[in-house]
Amino acid sequence: MELITFISGIIREAFAKKIILSIFIFFSLILLFIVFAATNDSVAGMLAFLEASEGNADYRSAVIYFETAVVSKIPMFMLIAFYLIIVSSFIPSMLQKGHIDLLLSKPISRTKIIIGHLIAGTSFAFLSTLFLFGIIWIIISSKTGIWHVPFLYSVIWFTFIFLVLYSFVILIGLITKNTVLNILINLILFFPLSWIFYLLTMVTRKGEQFFSFGAVTEFIIKFFYYIFPKPWDLADICESIIKQESIASYQPIITSFLFIGIMLSLSIWYFNKKDY
Amino acid sequence: MSVITINNLRKEYSSKSFSKNRIIALDNVSFEVGEGEIFGLLGPNGAGKTTLVKILLGITFPTSGSGRLFDKDLNDVYIKSRLGYLPENHSFPNYFTGEQVLNYFGRLSGVNPVDLKRKTDEYLNIVGMNEWRKIKIRKYSKGMMQRIGLAQAMISNPDLIFLDEPTDGVDPIGRKEIRDVLLSLKAQGKTIFLNSHLLSEIEMICDRVAILNKGILVKEGRVEDITSTDSYSFVTSELSDEVYNALLLNYKAVIQSKSNFLVSANNLDDVNIIIDFLRKNRILIQSVAKEKITLESKFINLIEHKL
Repeated sequence: MELITFISGIIREAFAKKIILSIFIFFSLILLFIVFAATNDSVAGMLAFLEASEGNADYRSAVIYFETAVVSKIPMFMLIAFYLIIVSSFIPSMLQKGHIDLLLSKPISRTKIIIGHLIAGTSFAFLSTLFLFGIIWIIISSKTGIWHVPFLYSVIWFTFIFLVLYSFVILIGLITKNTVLNILINLILFFPLSWIFYLLTMVTRKGEQFFSFGAVTEFIIKFFYYIFPKPWDLADICESIIKQESIASYQPIITSFLFIGIMLSLSIWYFNKKDY
Repeated sequence: MSVITINNLRKEYSSKSFSKNRIIALDNVSFEVGEGEIFGLLGPNGAGKTTLVKILLGITFPTSGSGRLFDKDLNDVYIKSRLGYLPENHSFPNYFTGEQVLNYFGRLSGVNPVDLKRKTDEYLNIVGMNEWRKIKIRKYSKGMMQRIGLAQAMISNPDLIFLDEPTDGVDPIGRKEIRDVLLSLKAQGKTIFLNSHLLSEIEMICDRVAILNKGILVKEGRVEDITSTDSYSFVTSELSDEVYNALLLNYKAVIQSKSNFLVSANNLDDVNIIIDFLRKNRILIQSVAKEKITLESKFINLIEHKL
């Protein structure tokens, strides 16, 4: 019961800080844009583009491509960065002197507090994304008549991308206790750092090698690629799933789970040994 | 039965600078607090009082030594359901109303939701905040925040309550009300651990006190024992010159007036010898009382001697 109370407290904080209101306004603007963008003309344009590039295309494929564009890397970056900015204040706010003392004096373990934060933040991202993508899906489907359910799987993938980065937000929040620093470090990790190593790894991949790196450089690139989170690879997988293509590699999923596990373990270890 | 047991508790903080200096916040502190006591922890700023409370509550960890609450290890999270805590400079989320503060922290303390409504009403009444229950706490005065904080510390009906400066910012009438609340808790068999700078209040309600200075326990014991002296004050009829001189020479008395003097006595036999001497010389005795000093005087003496 204590854990549920703690999670509901975080959600209440989000309401009190007008976070829910700002999400509603931000999402309303996106939805407004989609309402105007998702017209038969834009799908027809997409169809013409597909015919020009692939030779054969149908109306359904054009709608799916349109949907894929909606959840492509730039919208993904904007949405996840927006979530990260919002949730970055949760941990520093909890660590305020006078508040953390009270919290730690209650019969709830420090490990549960960290897990509570993870659950609360992830639920918040999941519900917000479900709301946004659910309405986008209804708008596109009702306008085009193509009810393509795999688009909704992007809710899970976006939540997963958020979860990967949020596990790092929790750790940095615990260490720095500073919201601004937390936002900066996390956004830098998200873009450009993980983006650069994503691109460099793409370049070094067999068959896509435009120029070769030295062995040491390649090792460094791969080292950082594997230890950094992989939101861009996960976004690729999300697009593949919407297009109902097979997943090229499960490596980003496995390493992302490892990243979450390591970040969460470090956060729990750090929080459990820290004096307040 | 000891509710709190502390053995050689030591807490060192590493200095933030590059030097290897370590700050000793607590230096091998040991004492016990019994069930149903109001125990006061005194000390100047930086003496280690809050650090000690935080260690007992698992907010800070000791460098060495050990402590037990209700005979359970300090790391036992579940023991916290028997504890209440009002920190100094507490900071409740300011978007809560007074009622929501009790509701939220009550549920975090494991209070049954069915009982919570009744307990919220009960404790808001006890601390005199019922009329303000629906108002956001950002509108509260310092004294009101202390009252809500006290209600929050009591909401789970804990057996042991830690209060860090509970009357800070509270007006004299409010302080009296808080004292009455603490005495009624004691009457219910609760143990109260009180950190306060207000020595007169500590003296009024505490059974025992401990005095910390620079992390070292300099005194611990019952308030009466700490504030008592070996001096006895005599109020008598006017002393004759012969008696006056004899008291000065033989009994090392400190004469305050012709009818009032102080003598040091290790035991009651010594006091009775003086009484016999006075009566033999036909001096009428109005009163004999053991001299006491205030806790504040004793505290200042102890701290200044150690500085």
